[in-house]
Amino acid sequence: MKHDSNSLIDALVDELVPVRPLRRAEGGALVLAATVLTGLLVLAINGIAGNVLAGAVSPMFLLANGLLLLLGVAASASTIAMASPRVGNRHDGTGWALAMAAVFPAVTLALLAAHRADLPHLLDVAAGWHCLVEALLSSLVVAGALLLWLRRGAPVSPRTAGIHLGVAATALGTAVYGLSCPAETIYHLGIWHALPVLVGGLIGRIVVPQLLRW
Amino acid sequence: MMADEQTLSRLMAAAQAGDRQAYAVLLAEARRWLLRYLARKVPPAHLDDLVQEVLVSLHAKRASYDPGRPFLPWLAAIARYRWVDHLRRSYRRAEVELGESDAAHEGDADAVMARISLDRLFGSLPRAQARAIELVKIEGHSISEAAARCGQSEPSVKVNIHRGLKRLAALIEEAD
Repeated sequence: MKHDSNSLIDALVDELVPVRPLRRAEGGALVLAATVLTGLLVLAINGIAGNVLAGAVSPMFLLANGLLLLLGVAASASTIAMASPRVGNRHDGTGWALAMAAVFPAVTLALLAAHRADLPHLLDVAAGWHCLVEALLSSLVVAGALLLWLRRGAPVSPRTAGIHLGVAATALGTAVYGLSCPAETIYHLGIWHALPVLVGGLIGRIVVPQLLRW
Repeated sequence: MMADEQTLSRLMAAAQAGDRQAYAVLLAEARRWLLRYLARKVPPAHLDDLVQEVLVSLHAKRASYDPGRPFLPWLAAIARYRWVDHLRRSYRRAEVELGESDAAHEGDADAVMARISLDRLFGSLPRAQARAIELVKIEGHSISEAAARCGQSEPSVKVNIHRGLKRLAALIEEAD
């Protein structure tokens, strides 16, 4: 056995070539670049919303997209960190950011419950569904960048990494897509711009672990 | 005498830069450390295979080590990942009883070892799950033998193994 291990060590040493260590700053730059590229694609395809162009956005718009951006940054940071495992690493930040961001849709649901009679009008499913799909599509570039990063690394909890990746990509993608969405009501933003994050987390939880096994 | 944390970190950083001499020393030290770290967590007959698997993973994933951070917690995370994977795969009965570890404890690594030890990871499982995994996956008993020994029903032993391994996989980076 000892002999086998020595042979293995010799073989690994023979194979050694220099590698560039994964730096978190580099991962952050990759996500930033992916987010900017997403922004350019969204603006090129959908254009910019009139209220955004005029600089007359509502507080609700700022609140919703600000929360999504912060959530996206927190989840991206934890996803990037998961590529470089270490006993003692903690990834609690994303959970707290998610809990804070969830206040927005929770309030929206409470308001919708209080105005049940107007539900179809307030929810505007056709416009909302369109936003859900567009936001998910807008998340693909960031998702691809984070997946690439994780595959270069050694994530030891693929399931958790998948959830964080899904949340990061959809939070950033939805915030960027928000630049081209003219709807500013709490009902629209609190439901249809929050749902992509939920869907992204679920897809990440189910699909990504299979792509991360090593 | 095992190399200290700072030396190991320096060796790994040199290995990432392509220094073969440093890498050979690092792998030999890592092997010694892993033999001690994983001792009594797999049947003795599987220990060397598991250590070799971890060394291969160390090699394949060496870019994921951040040279600005301690080396052993990184190696421990890789070892835990491979260990949980090994437990999942090993349904075969091991015929050999666990023996006493022949690895001596060595002074300055003890604090790090205590923090990142597998016992601590194992200790975070509910007792019934830890016992079921211990009996079947580590000591190599059959499900029915394990059920008789720990007083759980056979389906409970299976469920506890399944849940315990799932939980271990989620706790790999946990230190406390």
